[in-house]
Amino acid sequence: MSIALVRRGLAPLGGSAVLFGVLLAGATLYASSGGASRDRLVTQMMINAIIVVGIQVFVGSTGILSFGHVGFAGIAAYVFAVLAIDSERKATIIGNAPFGLADVDVTPWVALLAAIAVCVVVAVVLGLGLVRSGAQSGAVAATVITLSLLFVVHEVAVNWTDLTGGDRAGLSFAIGDTLSSMAPVYVALFASIVVARLFAETRVGWYARASRDDTLAARAMGINPSVPQMVALVVSVVIVAVGGSLRVYDLGTVTPKFFFLDYTLLTLTMLIVGGRRSVTGALVGTVIITAGNELARYLAGPDVDVPGMDWLFREGLSEIFLGGAMLGFMILRPKGLLDDWELDRWWSDRWRRRHEATPTAPATAPAPSPATLTTSAVTVEFGGFTALRGASIAARNDAVLGLIGPNGAGKTTLLNVITGLVPPTTGSVALDGVDVTSWPSHRLARDGLVRTFQNLRLFGSLTVRENVAVAALVGEQFRGDRQRPTVDELLAVSQLWEQRDRRARELDYGNSRRLELARAASVAPLFLLLDEPTSGMSETESLEMIGTVRTIAAAVGAGVIVIDHDLGFITGICETITCLDQGEVIAVGTPAEIQADPAVRAAYLGTHTPSAP
Amino acid sequence: MTELVQQLVDGLGRGSEYALIALGIAVMFGVMHLVNFAYGVLITVSGYAAFYVLDAGWSWWAAIPAIIGASVATSLVTELVAFRRVRGADDATMLLTSFGLFFVVSALFVMYVGPNVKNFERPSWVTNTVTVGSIRLEVFDLTTLGVTAVTLAGTAFLVRRTMFGISLRAAAADFDAARLMGVRSNRVIQGAFALAGLLAGIASVFILMRAGRTSPTFGETAMLKGILAALIGGLGSLSGAVIGGFTLGLVEVFLIARLPDDLVGLTNGIVFVLIALLFIFRPGGIVSVRHAERV
Repeated sequence: MSIALVRRGLAPLGGSAVLFGVLLAGATLYASSGGASRDRLVTQMMINAIIVVGIQVFVGSTGILSFGHVGFAGIAAYVFAVLAIDSERKATIIGNAPFGLADVDVTPWVALLAAIAVCVVVAVVLGLGLVRSGAQSGAVAATVITLSLLFVVHEVAVNWTDLTGGDRAGLSFAIGDTLSSMAPVYVALFASIVVARLFAETRVGWYARASRDDTLAARAMGINPSVPQMVALVVSVVIVAVGGSLRVYDLGTVTPKFFFLDYTLLTLTMLIVGGRRSVTGALVGTVIITAGNELARYLAGPDVDVPGMDWLFREGLSEIFLGGAMLGFMILRPKGLLDDWELDRWWSDRWRRRHEATPTAPATAPAPSPATLTTSAVTVEFGGFTALRGASIAARNDAVLGLIGPNGAGKTTLLNVITGLVPPTTGSVALDGVDVTSWPSHRLARDGLVRTFQNLRLFGSLTVRENVAVAALVGEQFRGDRQRPTVDELLAVSQLWEQRDRRARELDYGNSRRLELARAASVAPLFLLLDEPTSGMSETESLEMIGTVRTIAAAVGAGVIVIDHDLGFITGICETITCLDQGEVIAVGTPAEIQADPAVRAAYLGTHTPSAP
Repeated sequence: MTELVQQLVDGLGRGSEYALIALGIAVMFGVMHLVNFAYGVLITVSGYAAFYVLDAGWSWWAAIPAIIGASVATSLVTELVAFRRVRGADDATMLLTSFGLFFVVSALFVMYVGPNVKNFERPSWVTNTVTVGSIRLEVFDLTTLGVTAVTLAGTAFLVRRTMFGISLRAAAADFDAARLMGVRSNRVIQGAFALAGLLAGIASVFILMRAGRTSPTFGETAMLKGILAALIGGLGSLSGAVIGGFTLGLVEVFLIARLPDDLVGLTNGIVFVLIALLFIFRPGGIVSVRHAERV
């Protein structure tokens, strides 16, 4: 089965080539009409672009703001300089370098590889820390960890003078020993753009963005968010390391302040102005900020003397421009100019829309391979409160089991126990006889238990189709043996085809509920666990959901366990109903039996009846 | 033993200054989830206020209200021009807003006051010490310690016991709900910024008395220490901020005293590594303020 989501190779490659080509053409045109200073500006812009694209890979796909990437660029710069400066010169500037580094003579290529290697090692350590701290999109703890890295690098660079030349002198290449051709910069920039775009379209790239939009939902779909975060970090750090090495090789010298707060402001402003979720945006931002910064510097410089403008055209103008751009975009357009728009995605989407046909519902449904899900005497205590008291249920995946009960009966808690979000105090959960109690959510999802949420948890910035397709990627990766409908067929079955290219966060309530259902089904689970799939729906919509849930479950051959308060829906859809009250199972039976059960009536209506099952 | 006690005393002295800075940062985070780089701006502005009034011949006693007033006014202005407009955005957006603001204000000082360091007279008693047994106590540290204690108590009282404090915490927990319940949320947020400005002003007085100078990026170092202290303590918790400040001070003093000579320069580097480790193993800081997520 091919998934349209992963645009393998060609489109991103073509898009990258166009972006790079335009950038190169513009830069060449600009440089051709000026002197050496324009050449220098173009070189610096391209090197900055590499670093900004590198930062984008991490920040864009994980949503974690990083102050640490400039620190990585700094590490790379120092490793590169220490190794690539020839030993003769090193003898005069850092003759006492530890580990015999003063006597090392290697080519710039080897130095570059070493810089990348060191950065990757640090990135893995930092990444483990980020993962350990439960890093999430937009939260501050992860950002602080990255900020610490920036400070550590700066402090070490300032203080370890034997190695780094310290605060003032720093490390410098001998004159004439620096970057002599633009070719490496061009190659590195083009490669960075390609890698960034290809990464975004890989499975891991999609997992990263899904986790960014909703970590918990990603887990419930079988994604372990730590993996894409870690991969994104390493990929981005490799790119940044190349950029950092080139920067020092080009400038011919490095001191600690080259890679500290000022450079962080510069690169982050470039990223944010263009749009931190887009590689195209990173490049656009780099160009705009470079141009603006240069203009500000020119206006503030000695060559310009505009009468009456002296109050503005003076030293500090370029910092005002940078800080002001950052501030202005945060206030007025925090998503940047392009948000998550990508050139190649735009044209491949256009191409797809022109060629796609409305899918039909799948003709054949897979015969369900029999499976059972049981909970045995599950008890959950939250502090002194007992949410579940010895709850046992049994479900088969060729039927629909309903969970009902008054508010606070423990229905959602039971679902949380089954899907690994809440560990039971005692008791166990078994899937097909295998004890799966307290497995992590993503592992349970991969083994076939996939849920929806009472309060909607969609991947908001992804389109409807992408929401379903990400889950299908998980299904393909971990549940490849299951027969399943295509993403488009699922969209058709869930009546979402017309909405397929809208962002999930723009959907109304009913469509959002259907999308959660389609997304969960797309993993091809053994059981779909639905937490109030009709809440917020009208009566007609609820009754329609009976058919929708049944069709979707049948299409993937999954059993259903459903919590709902809508009696019309629940009696219409379930073969069996289990009724919970105050954490205990008080009745099990067919819908008719449950409706007639005195204990159930008592629980709902509050009439005190002595008969307890 | 004496050496240890001396280090303890020095650490507490240093830490009380960090604690004082961290208090205002913790208030900001508690109310708006804002990690405020612009806190450095308040300290910088206070520095120039001090420079100008002392240069005009005012005494230090007269300068103190001017410094604090400048800080409060600046804090209110930052709310008005920037933070009001990103209210409710995610933490990263607000953090970047304050980051941008910090650079803009520094650049404004470069443009209109000049990039140079401005020096002013320090009060004469700053360097005085008293000796108890074999322990040397700096008068200045003792004063800072006392003022920190009073400020913490006052802030805690204000936040926990007064109507203003209750409204503040309500607006912090849920801005819109607080509004619907009749809390004048805009006023309350302004109040929080005024309070942060006041705390920054008080801290600035001590920082400036010791430093005797200011420059366009003067607030940077103090702000970073304050943010770190607040983070160590667990952002958003007032007592956490103070604990964090003292922890940071003590760790720094002990590291400086205990590290071999050729590593002393790396003190700050080691402190940052420790902080990163703390965050990895206890992301909420020492005093965790956590909210469970309902699913």
